[in-house]
Amino acid sequence: MHVPNFDRELDFVPNRRGWLSQVGNGFGGLALASMLAQDGLGDEEQSSGATHPAIVYPRKVKRVIQLFMAGAASHIDLFDYKPSLLKHHGKPSDFGEPVEAFQDGLGPWLKPVWDFKPYGKSGKMLSDTVAPLGKVVDQMSFIHNMVTTSGVHSAATLLQATGFQTPGFPGAGCWVSYALGSMNDNLPTFVVLPDHRGYASNGVKNWDAAFLPTQHSGTVIFPGKTSPITDLNPHPSASFITPTGEMEARSALAQLNREHASQRVDDLRLEARIRSYELAGRMQVAAPEALDLSQEPQHILDMYGIQAQGKQWPTEINAPEEAHHFGTKCLVARRMLERGVRFIQIWSGNDNGFPRRNWDSHEDLRRDHGPLAMGMAIGATALIQDLQQRGLLDDTLILWTTEFGRMPSSQGGAGRDHNPYVFTNWLCGAGIKPGVTCGESDEWGYKPLDRNKPTKVYDVHATLLKLMGIEHTKLTWRHNGIDRRLTDVHGHPIEAIIG
Amino acid sequence: MVGSNSKFLIHGLLLAILLGIPHARGEENAIKTNELDTQTKFYIEKIRPLLDEHCVNCHGSQEQGGGLKLDSLDAMLQGGDSGQVLKVGDPSNSLLWKRISSVNPDERMPPEGDGLSKSDIESMSQWIAQGAHGVDESSQQDKSWQERLEHWAWKPMRSEPIPLRLDSKENLASPIDGWIEVKLNQKQLAWSPPADQTTWLRRVYFDLIGLPPTPEELAAFVADHDPNAKGKVVDRLLANPRYGERWARHWLDVVHYGDTHGYDKDKPRPNAWPYRDYVIRALNEDRPYSRFIEQQIAGDTLPIDPGSGLSSADNNEALGFISAGPWDAIGHTEVPETKTDGKIARHLDRDNMVATAIGTFASITIQCAQCHNHKFDPFTQKDYYALQAVFAAVDRSERAYYADAQVEAEVSIVQRELAAVLEELKQYQTEVRQATGEQLEPIEKSILELTMPLKGQLPVEYGYHSQISPQSKTSKWVQVDLGEATPIETLRVHPCYDDFNAIGPGFGFPIRWQVRGSNSPDFQNAVQLANHTSADFTNPLWCPVEVDCKSLSAKQRTVRYIRVDAEVLVERSRDFIFALAELEVFNDAGVNVALNKSVTAFDSIEAGPRWGAKNLVDGKTPTGKVAVQLAELHQAKIDCIERSIPQTLRDKGLNLESKERQLRSRLASLPPPQRVFAGTIHNGSGAFRGTGPDGGKPRPIYLLARGNVTQPGREVMPSALTGQFGLPDLFQFPENQSESERRAALAKWLIHPAHPLTWRSLVNRLWQYHFGRGIVDTPNDFGRMGGAPSHPELLDYLSLEFRDSQSIKHMQRKIILTKVYEQSSVVHNPDAIAIDSENVFLWRQSRRKLEAEAVRDAVLATSGSLDLKMGGPGYQDFVIERPEHSPHYEYDLADPADSKTFRRTVYRFIVRSQLQPFMTLLDCADPSLRVDRRNETVSATQALTMLNNGFMLEQAKRFAGRLQHEFPKSDPERKVVRAFELALSRKPTESEAKIVREYSEKHGWENTCRLLFNLNEFSFVD
Repeated sequence: MHVPNFDRELDFVPNRRGWLSQVGNGFGGLALASMLAQDGLGDEEQSSGATHPAIVYPRKVKRVIQLFMAGAASHIDLFDYKPSLLKHHGKPSDFGEPVEAFQDGLGPWLKPVWDFKPYGKSGKMLSDTVAPLGKVVDQMSFIHNMVTTSGVHSAATLLQATGFQTPGFPGAGCWVSYALGSMNDNLPTFVVLPDHRGYASNGVKNWDAAFLPTQHSGTVIFPGKTSPITDLNPHPSASFITPTGEMEARSALAQLNREHASQRVDDLRLEARIRSYELAGRMQVAAPEALDLSQEPQHILDMYGIQAQGKQWPTEINAPEEAHHFGTKCLVARRMLERGVRFIQIWSGNDNGFPRRNWDSHEDLRRDHGPLAMGMAIGATALIQDLQQRGLLDDTLILWTTEFGRMPSSQGGAGRDHNPYVFTNWLCGAGIKPGVTCGESDEWGYKPLDRNKPTKVYDVHATLLKLMGIEHTKLTWRHNGIDRRLTDVHGHPIEAIIG
Repeated sequence: MVGSNSKFLIHGLLLAILLGIPHARGEENAIKTNELDTQTKFYIEKIRPLLDEHCVNCHGSQEQGGGLKLDSLDAMLQGGDSGQVLKVGDPSNSLLWKRISSVNPDERMPPEGDGLSKSDIESMSQWIAQGAHGVDESSQQDKSWQERLEHWAWKPMRSEPIPLRLDSKENLASPIDGWIEVKLNQKQLAWSPPADQTTWLRRVYFDLIGLPPTPEELAAFVADHDPNAKGKVVDRLLANPRYGERWARHWLDVVHYGDTHGYDKDKPRPNAWPYRDYVIRALNEDRPYSRFIEQQIAGDTLPIDPGSGLSSADNNEALGFISAGPWDAIGHTEVPETKTDGKIARHLDRDNMVATAIGTFASITIQCAQCHNHKFDPFTQKDYYALQAVFAAVDRSERAYYADAQVEAEVSIVQRELAAVLEELKQYQTEVRQATGEQLEPIEKSILELTMPLKGQLPVEYGYHSQISPQSKTSKWVQVDLGEATPIETLRVHPCYDDFNAIGPGFGFPIRWQVRGSNSPDFQNAVQLANHTSADFTNPLWCPVEVDCKSLSAKQRTVRYIRVDAEVLVERSRDFIFALAELEVFNDAGVNVALNKSVTAFDSIEAGPRWGAKNLVDGKTPTGKVAVQLAELHQAKIDCIERSIPQTLRDKGLNLESKERQLRSRLASLPPPQRVFAGTIHNGSGAFRGTGPDGGKPRPIYLLARGNVTQPGREVMPSALTGQFGLPDLFQFPENQSESERRAALAKWLIHPAHPLTWRSLVNRLWQYHFGRGIVDTPNDFGRMGGAPSHPELLDYLSLEFRDSQSIKHMQRKIILTKVYEQSSVVHNPDAIAIDSENVFLWRQSRRKLEAEAVRDAVLATSGSLDLKMGGPGYQDFVIERPEHSPHYEYDLADPADSKTFRRTVYRFIVRSQLQPFMTLLDCADPSLRVDRRNETVSATQALTMLNNGFMLEQAKRFAGRLQHEFPKSDPERKVVRAFELALSRKPTESEAKIVREYSEKHGWENTCRLLFNLNEFSFVD
């Protein structure tokens, strides 16, 4: 077996990295390496062997958009059609074995809240509440036999987002950023667009860098907020800042810093920090431009369900409002992709509080799932169509996920309890075989059809990494004595879904 | 990417190959398979993983269940207590195969879980049938285990002769320098010259107190020509209370302290801070390290002796160590231990306690042995679960304690008396039972049966609730106006139910009371309908109390107003109230004439649907349909007691009840206990019960196959790693030993003078914070996958010195007052970079980028706005929105000018799910991780937060204000000099002064101060 001697190979690379490696892997090396990544040298055009040793496959995917439905979206009511539930609706549920449910929601079988109809050439059955996705369904591929290990929101959300069910592990986007670096020089590598109402359970622990260097953390953007990125602009309390004062401060700063650094030439961090201020200046220009949706024509805004600014919304949850907010994030995501952001996570639904503004429909699926799903479907459909018409879908992967599914039995008549035993993911775009289903659930949507062959988040992550050229077992970081991986000690790429 | 981590990958794989360590499933098999014959390949791919996973934990070199080992051909052929287990070529006569394929659950191996899969059983059969090839004749495992034991960190600390100076006339003052020089010479490196005085002072200030020296302190130091000037500075800084604040932050990184739980909802922990204050106090007082360890793991077992650093506050607050990390509140409070998710939550919670305790104090990664034996170090799964058993009784919960010893003493006296009274009451109950023969029992049984299901169906409307009163003897009343004079036959008085203070049924029911009727609302002329004012009334709990008025004349009992007077009130929570759920008044026809009539009261708490005067007559009672039955049973009970119990006995009972109340109210009148969020016995109910209801009995801990809670194996008793390090077994307990003895034993194990890890671990951490890199560069992992010590003899020298002195401050003084520490950080000899670019051998000091806290504190100190208030709840630099469910911690809504936030950063209220953006961008420790060494990054977003964060801009304003205040007449030259001295501890050069002065003239001092805060030099220490 070939064990790459990374350090040694680097010495032969006659470029800046080679020179860097002679300075060592200490702080200086790290800091400048991160700066280099910002310059785009971390990407695949760097073919001289100085890429991360985990990069061993041809790269089919350059960018990823992950859509995360917080609170646990019901596979049964959206994507996973179960005629048995129609037939047995209202009869006492019988799982053929004892079942542990989070809130003991094991009422009678409950049929899907919406009708299902076939769409596309594949004839895939979709619920009326995600009907817009019918237009793109032939490009989507479904995994209906996802399983997870926890029925508790926090642990299960962490597992889907980071591969571990306790906090303290990097999000998938962080690992991708660590492995591949950036494709732009003025925007973050990994962007998170949370639900506009706030964070899902675990907050930033779903995407922060944990033990990886902080620059791999997801950068949170709230489009439409006065300060969409933390400290992008001076805090409004500081009225003393003027444009010329700002400009001249940067140049004075650079001058003073260079004088300081000139007596400490060995310390690359100092140079890196000087350049970080230049990058910051570029980001201050690039980010507002990327977030400026007024540049988009009306038909594009309409396609994403985005309404005029300042529109007043009713207090009750409703589909047009959900579509507006989700669509805004999808359109921002497209603009970010166009500008070289590598990994974008879009969240639907915030914490599990009341009134429900997330997918945790213990009480009333129609009330919460209806508007949330319709809003998501409009935005996601527009995103897929828009990426396709711009050719971006050729190297972009879209992954739709949630922390677990919901039970085929009813809870309190109109809601469903948690179902960690089976749920649905779908993928779409680069590297994905279109219009297939890999893995079915059983006739009730209670567990996988083949209980010995479920799909786990590790498999999805291994697939995602492989499509990006990365062998998931080799992408590691030593932390407290263990070589940590996104996929822990598990995971196999799902070959059947790779196109 | 060039990362210091990539080398580990290679290192790890190589080591694994060299040692023949089996890889986990899914990992690549590192053996060159083409060189092995098919059968060997079959063994390696199919059989060995199967044995490793399912068998050798109990039948391997560490343990031989049934006297059997299955890790070599010799051992298999030799067999165990049941005889030979392998008959080569004949699976059906090989016990090995018979036991794994048995359908009898008592016989089948492995005993836990569902057993092996069909295909595994088939593979085993095939392997035996084909000749059992491939397995090593002698135990690879034995060999590799032996190798694992050969590791520097498990070996005793050794005292080597201190090296003499090799090639110089100059005498080295410190043995530390002697060890450093030996290595420098070996590596052909040379010392760098000492840093200048200014640089040294700034370095030592940031190192010891995390703040820059003031210009005055700097001037005084430069002017001090005493040869011991540096020693004096070090002593002064070590004695400065700022020292504890600085070094506590390092400790809090390692233990991952936070002020919220994390996970879903992420609720605040309002009483986490006493632990943080304990750490600051203990470090400032230079608590002997052994005591520091004992207090944090088992402070509750230590005697109280404030003179020796063993105050009640210290012993209790230190237990915040165990609970410092995150807690899955939902997994505990909403899911009981009987469900799988509840089991997982508690298993992971204990895992965190074990990993923190062992990782912090002993720098080993025992948590890696959760699913299988440790892959690299000599730790078995059983070792790991034995440590889980140490923490098996505790949860993360609030712990009450009395910091004041006098109060504590008084409380314990009252509690003792109360216990005695309760014991007497029990005795009394027995006597009552004897006196009533078999009559009372069925009545009480019926009451119990009827009331059992009631709690689940309580109405939202609780009833009437008076205002609270500070004393018991208080008159209050509530009355109903029937609308017209009505002949009354009976009344029914219903007690309330409220779980408040765990009271439950009978909540607020008065101790002495009466019922009166009158035809005037002020009760000028009244008739007494019931009288319990001369003797205490035993609380009826759930049961309604019947009042029969029929003995009165028809005229007497024809009244318009009915009033219940409470004369002696019952305790609620250190105060007294009067509450009733319902008052029913029945006329001759048996109709409740009080229903929905008008109610007035002496006073009332009107609080939403729950409490209100009108609830007294809303027809809703806690007992609902069984009210009548219960009232009758209650009456029958009273009759029975009155009939068959002599007055003297009854008086005795009433007397005891009254005593109990008095003691309880005395207890209530004492100052309330303090609370700390700690690792402690939790006394709960519902899903989060804890072990309190079982008297703190530890939960049984099972060895979990693959760490899976649904596959428990045998029970594991508490223990600590003993065989590996030759330490004594301190876990030999008598039966029913208190759980805290388990933790005390763990602490004693850790502080054993011969412990090879404890003392090394701590001096290595100290070294890292003074040089930017530990002697071992993986401070949380001294195992075989961690770093090797760069200066092993030095590490042992320091460790022994530390063990004997027990003083952290002593060690720091020794480390700082050395040639190696005072070296310049500038590269004087470029050749050295080629030899040792990472400065492992310390040929210079390391330039350090300041940590987030040090940056923020330095900004506050420079601007002159640092508030040095110590201790207490943390400052909050966020606004909490929607606190009722999942609090939103909104940092951007906070006012940066709020001076309450100008405290040292160690006092920040640390939220886990919504990390403080400014601090996080500056690489502060993540409270979800045990951080032994912080990441150090440089990024554009970091630059943005330094430039634009509200805190930075507010402090730039204040810095400018300070300069303006000091130089009211415009004096730009001196202002520039002063600004440099405050921010950078030095005067500007001419060109620097010119740049800054010109900028300030154009854009003002607020912008200028912002510029200075953003200089590289502000964030780095040479």
